[in-house]
Amino acid sequence: MNFKHVFLKRTCPMVTQIAEAHRKPRWLPVAKSKIYRIPKRPVISTEERLELQRINNNYNTQMRAIRRFYHEEMIKERSSLQSASSEMSQRLEAEEWEKCVQINDKWNSQVAAEREERRKVELAAMEDFALKRMEVKDAEMKDKIAIASEKIREQKELCSTFITPETLEAAIDHALANPTDYNFAIDLKGNQFPGRDIPITYEKNAEKTNV
Amino acid sequence: MSSPVIKYVGRTTNFKGKTLWEIVGSLKNYGVGRLIVRSVFERYPEPSYMKIVKVETCPDEERRRVRVWVEKTFRGRTLPKLTEIYRTSYKPDYKLIPKDEESKLLHVDHKKTEVILPNCIEMPPLMKRFIVKDHEKRGLEVVKDFVLPLSYKHSPNRVQRVAIGDEKPTIQFTMGLGKPASPSLYEGIPLEKSV
Repeated sequence: MNFKHVFLKRTCPMVTQIAEAHRKPRWLPVAKSKIYRIPKRPVISTEERLELQRINNNYNTQMRAIRRFYHEEMIKERSSLQSASSEMSQRLEAEEWEKCVQINDKWNSQVAAEREERRKVELAAMEDFALKRMEVKDAEMKDKIAIASEKIREQKELCSTFITPETLEAAIDHALANPTDYNFAIDLKGNQFPGRDIPITYEKNAEKTNV
Repeated sequence: MSSPVIKYVGRTTNFKGKTLWEIVGSLKNYGVGRLIVRSVFERYPEPSYMKIVKVETCPDEERRRVRVWVEKTFRGRTLPKLTEIYRTSYKPDYKLIPKDEESKLLHVDHKKTEVILPNCIEMPPLMKRFIVKDHEKRGLEVVKDFVLPLSYKHSPNRVQRVAIGDEKPTIQFTMGLGKPASPSLYEGIPLEKSV
C-alpha cells in the first residue's frame, strides 16, 4: 500500500519518453499481420504521366547543364591557380597581400597606442600602491622604534641599581648583613611563620592532618 | 471441357510474359535463331526485338536465370555488338515471336527520322546576371554568349544523335517550362507569361 502511495504522489515522471518513429528494425521479417497485405499501386493517368516525365526530363537536362558548367569552371580555376603562371592572378594576389598588410599595420598602430595609454595608467596605479605601502611600513617602523627606545630608557634608569665590580664589596657586605630567608610556612589563616628553626606549635582543636 | 480459370494472387506488375529460361529451356537447341521481345520495349513505335545467338545454362543455384547472347535491335537500330543477357534474364517480361510472325517484325517499315539533340542550352536568366557580375568582380573578360554545354548519358541503346559543332538540332531545350505534353492539365493557366 505504502509503495503504491509513493508512486501515485510522484512529482516527476519516472519514465522519460523519447520520440521515435514507430517502425520495426530493418532486419526483422515482415510482421505476421502484414504478410498477405497487398499495397495498392498508385494510379496515374497517361496524360499526367507523360507530362511529369517531360517536366522531370527537362529539369534533369537543365540541372546537368548547370552542374557541368560550374564543374568545368572549377576545374579551370583550379588549374589556373595551380599553374600560378598567369600574371593576372599573381598581380591580384600581390594587390590583395598589400591591402592586407596595410590593414594589419593600421590595426597594429591603433592597438599600440591603446596599449601605451593603458600602460601609463597602470604604472601610475602601481606607483601609488607602492608609495602607500611604503608609508604604512614607515609608520610601523616608527612605532617599533619608539617602543624600543622607551624600553632602553627604562633599562638605563635601572642601570644605576646594578652591581658593578666597584660596588661588589659593598653589596656583599650588605647581603651578609641582611640575610633573607625565604623559607616560611603558612597556616590555614594565612599567618606566615618565617625561619627554619622555629618550632611548630599546633592549636588546641587543630588536627594533625590539616597542617 | 471448360477453359482453365487463371486467378492471380499477390502484387501486380507491369511485366507481361515469361522468364527467359521458361522460353529458351523448352525450345529445340535452346531457341538459337529465334526472336524474342521484351514487352517493356513494345511501347516505342519502332520495332525492338532480339535474336538469340548463343545460350548457356546456369548452375542450380540460379535456376531462374540463363545466360543468353543476343543480336539486339532497339527502336529500329541494330547494335553492332552482341548483348549478353544474364542479370535481367529472370524478369518475367520476355515473349517468344512465333516463326510465322518473324518476317512481319523484321520487315516493318518505319520512317527513319533522325533526331539530333542540341549540344548547348541557354542560361537561366538569374544565372546570366550573376555570371556578368561575377566576371566583372574577378576582372575576367565579359561573357557574350550565355550558353551552357549540355551532356547526355552514354548508352549503347541511344537512338538520338548529339549535334556536332554548329549542326542544327531537331529538338530545342529551353530553361522555361516548355510546351506541355498534355495541355488539358493546364486549362485556364496562362503559360506564355510564365515561360
